[in-house]
Amino acid sequence: MLRIENLSCGYDGSMVVKDVSFNVKDGQRLCILGPNGCGKTTLLRGIMGILPINGSVYIDEQNMKSLSSRQKGQKIAMLSQMSDTYFAYTVYETVMLGRYAHQKRGAFTSADSEDRRIVQESLERVGMLELKDRPITELSGGQLQRVFLARTFAQTPEIILLDEPTNHLDLKYQVELIDALKEWASAGGRCVVGVLHDINLALSFADTVLLMDRGEIKAYDTVENLDLDLVSRVYGIDVGKYMRTTLERWK
Amino acid sequence: MVNKTGSKTLFLICAAFISVILGIGIGSVFIPPKDILAVLASSLTGAGDSAVDPIVKSLVTDIRLPRVLLAFLTGAALSVGGTVMQSVLKNPLASPFSLGVSAGAGLGAAIVIVSGATVGLLGTFLLPAVSFSFGLITVILVIGAVSKIDRRMSNVTIVLTGMVVSLFFSAIMDLLATVSPTYAQRINLWQMGSFSAKEWSSVWILLPILLICIFVFMRYAKEMDIMTFGEEQAQAMGVNLKRSKWILICFVAVLTGTAVAFAGIIGFVDLIAPHIVRRFFGSSHRKVLPASALFGGTFMVLCDLAARTLTSPKEIPIGAITALIGAPFFIYIFFAKRKR
Repeated sequence: MLRIENLSCGYDGSMVVKDVSFNVKDGQRLCILGPNGCGKTTLLRGIMGILPINGSVYIDEQNMKSLSSRQKGQKIAMLSQMSDTYFAYTVYETVMLGRYAHQKRGAFTSADSEDRRIVQESLERVGMLELKDRPITELSGGQLQRVFLARTFAQTPEIILLDEPTNHLDLKYQVELIDALKEWASAGGRCVVGVLHDINLALSFADTVLLMDRGEIKAYDTVENLDLDLVSRVYGIDVGKYMRTTLERWK
Repeated sequence: MVNKTGSKTLFLICAAFISVILGIGIGSVFIPPKDILAVLASSLTGAGDSAVDPIVKSLVTDIRLPRVLLAFLTGAALSVGGTVMQSVLKNPLASPFSLGVSAGAGLGAAIVIVSGATVGLLGTFLLPAVSFSFGLITVILVIGAVSKIDRRMSNVTIVLTGMVVSLFFSAIMDLLATVSPTYAQRINLWQMGSFSAKEWSSVWILLPILLICIFVFMRYAKEMDIMTFGEEQAQAMGVNLKRSKWILICFVAVLTGTAVAFAGIIGFVDLIAPHIVRRFFGSSHRKVLPASALFGGTFMVLCDLAARTLTSPKEIPIGAITALIGAPFFIYIFFAKRKR
């Protein structure tokens, strides 16, 4: 579904991500792991087209460069870290904005029945339908991120990129969020590529892992086959030991 | 929801109409509303009306109406410009002046005033024409510099560059005022804005520009909604960010540049009008843009009324009034709503 070929990108001429290539298949949930500064978020921005890139990104064998901003928006969406907003849109208005890439342009065009149906379904899926008229400035962090998730669903993309969307969320909301995304990805014709800061959460969400270090791919394998020693070397800490110790405490 | 928005809009339209009637009626000579309506009706239909004194008729059509309309259009233009810039820069403190429009226009005006230049063809239009051009050139300079420094044209770079260029131009303007004390007062007065001695020609220039700009902004209303969630989000949702930003900024520059060129630098309304309107209409730009225009226009007409009547026959600069009335009004609206 998603094919990355020799992608390099960075800021102000210095390449943070260096010559990265990989494929993501239909239904796959890929997590990008690696220590701070290894280029995870930069890679997502490169795929999204937010940063200029060398190399190519193909969605369904179509080069991203040949797509307009709107066409990109119809195929690929991104859920980022929750951030506060000053502007008091209602929950419904916020989710409806997710339909932008599918709507006609114009000063006086409005949402059609298809848009309304999809927004309604997206709100139901995240359990926010009852609060649809509430201004988003009055929501808790967990609720707000659910609204943004609904907006991402309403965009009806084929690929969702996650840029640490569980940051600042309580454990309950973190688990709810990744469960909703798992369910979404299982419907066929869809995949998720994500950066999740918490390794535990990442491993419980993903079926495959892309391990990065200093802008390069160190491993690309299923969660089951992942070489934990390699992960530990990349992170500079014995990850397995840390996880076992944590589990011991809970006993 | 629709009905609520509809009745609020109707309220704003009525308020706008009443403010215009008050603006025309109150002054050194009081003109009763029925006379004003009679004059307006006869002017619109082209029919002669013997019931109204010709002096009153001339006072209405030649002096007060163009002044009131220019005040309305200027208020509307600045408020709409403020609304757009706050969204584009995702910053509730942003205004068209963040782009350096006012500093540039001010410098242009100061140069004309100090040099005492007159060009036959342009005549009284020389000052507005030069200040408009300077305002626009400043924005182009700011945006040009930004796109050189930062290819993604991020908001922080725009605000910082706009601020630096504004301060630099203001400093030159102050320098001009200091080295030519004879003109210092005129420069100072121009900076604070005024609608006195304005003619129909200013109205006929500003009106179409305002209407075209509002139409363009309405077309970009959804993009503006999305931009308030941040630049990356906007791109991820399918907005062509760079193009939308360029178009919106250029139209804001032309709109506010024109308003400032005729009326001088009038602060505050561009900042507060969008905030107050959002409190009542929500944040959706399809509602906020027209409502800001109506509210900003009404507010400016009332401020101008206060400016010319409070210390009559002496006029208070309009910029002082917008801040004097606007600041407490803003605090009241903002905090009264927040308390609830």
